[in-house]
Amino acid sequence: MNNETDRLSFPEFQNGAAMAAVLAAGIGALAMGLLVIANEAGLFTAPSLYAKAGGLSGRSTFAVFAWLASWGILHMVWRDRAIGTGRVLGLTAMLVALGLIMTFPPVWGLF
Amino acid sequence: MLFSDRSLLTMLHGLVLSGGSLMLLFTALYSLRALSPNDGTAVSASQSNTFAWLTAAAAVLLWMSVISGTYVIFPLYRASPPEGIASLIDFPRALLVSRADTRWLHSFAMEVKEHMPWIAAMLATAVAFIARRHRGTVLADAELRRITGWLLAIAIALVSLVALLGVFVNKVAPVW
Repeated sequence: MNNETDRLSFPEFQNGAAMAAVLAAGIGALAMGLLVIANEAGLFTAPSLYAKAGGLSGRSTFAVFAWLASWGILHMVWRDRAIGTGRVLGLTAMLVALGLIMTFPPVWGLF
Repeated sequence: MLFSDRSLLTMLHGLVLSGGSLMLLFTALYSLRALSPNDGTAVSASQSNTFAWLTAAAAVLLWMSVISGTYVIFPLYRASPPEGIASLIDFPRALLVSRADTRWLHSFAMEVKEHMPWIAAMLATAVAFIARRHRGTVLADAELRRITGWLLAIAIALVSLVALLGVFVNKVAPVW
């Protein structure tokens, strides 16, 4: 039985692993945005992990950790479940949009 | 010498890795549309595998571009010039901020280039994961197609924007 047959055999397609990957990307984007805006507002400065790259090395590493950690947790919880795609997509779109807005330099002047 | 080691690294980062990932992302988005059956018929395993490999290659190239950009090119860009230096040509950031008409290339273009590519790489990785994990269904299932299509489109938009800004920066203050 191939994957295609699997998909057609079950009324509830177990898309949890895919949805976990999607939502985790949104969380990673938000984490990057929060780290950038916190840095610009002087609230939190991620340490420089590679001096020649400055604070970017710390911000990007922390964001990647947040992305991978959230992906791992969501994957464990959702992998065998059927998750509503609309809600996950909507939430992911919002998180990515927030992340992008916070990494957009003209916005930093507001803080 | 026509090209220095530093400029070759910049070309590897911008043209080979970023350009390659952008082409593969476009190809993946086109394939998602072209390979999808409209009549609900099954998709061949070879087509699904091709799509999975395509998205994986795009994500790998994009990550290589992001990491090389952050840890190889960015340090060359942001190097501080010593006191009393006559020419800033070897110090791109200092060169950009030294003139009012090019200052935005640092304060806007480079700042965007520092962070947004990481988000694009995360989105491309999610696409590659879905294409691999659900390779038997991703091309046939309308919901998965819609999700991967949107993620690919956003990643393409981000990489395109960042690449364009990179061209602007490199035109005015190249890493020689």
